[in-house]
Amino acid sequence: MQPLQLFDTAFQRNEWLAQRQSLISANIANANTPGYKAKDIESFDDVMRKAVPMAVTDPQHLSSGDSAGTARNVNTDEAEVLESGNNVSLEEEFLKSSDVSRNYSMNTQIIKAFSRMLQSATKA
Amino acid sequence: MSDPFVTAANSASHGLFAQSTRMRVLSENIANADTTGKTPGSDPYRRKTISFRDMVDDGDTGDGVDMVGVDKIARDEAPFRTEYMPGHPAADDKGYVKMPNVDMLVELADMREASRAYTANTQVIKQVRELVSMTIDLLRPGS
Repeated sequence: MQPLQLFDTAFQRNEWLAQRQSLISANIANANTPGYKAKDIESFDDVMRKAVPMAVTDPQHLSSGDSAGTARNVNTDEAEVLESGNNVSLEEEFLKSSDVSRNYSMNTQIIKAFSRMLQSATKA
Repeated sequence: MSDPFVTAANSASHGLFAQSTRMRVLSENIANADTTGKTPGSDPYRRKTISFRDMVDDGDTGDGVDMVGVDKIARDEAPFRTEYMPGHPAADDKGYVKMPNVDMLVELADMREASRAYTANTQVIKQVRELVSMTIDLLRPGS
């Protein structure tokens, strides 16, 4: 039987969202720190593409790197840089934060749906 | 690696601490807005300034979480304003008294900003709590 990857993927997405929330809160905490640059996480699509590599059936096929998990990058193009060198925009961070919340809620609902499906299959 | 939710709440609470320290410095400035020297020609209260720095917590986790900390509390070297009050104990021989270099308007604007940033941090803590309780709700039977 194929292992169930439903829960696995959903929890990975949740973990990614949690990491993102942690970066958002670091950005907000540093909203008044001179020279601080806002950070964001690598998009989930990119992470998935690395974590679920392409099938390689021939040594000459290209492989798609190691699964790096989550990495950080600095966005310099989104918010304007203030005199103090700080480019944190509270509005944008809240936007991202509500995005995380919405996605997290959706994910937990999906996990609940999976578990209901499993239960309906196992219960007589 | 530590739990990202814990680190998120941690960063936010460091933010709260930094902003409340800023609030403390601002209230010291406002409270001393009229504090002059005691002896003739002596310097009055000098305005305090505060700056923050990005504190990377490598600690035992080693994943470099960004915290915020108070960098230093310094003195504002701006010149004092003078007022003509010949009867004042701190008046110099021409009758001028040096007044603190505190500008109430600047302090109040700064205070408003500090309070906004403080609210932003408490909002983050609330949201983290919500996310954690969503996860815990998965374990609730019959949901």
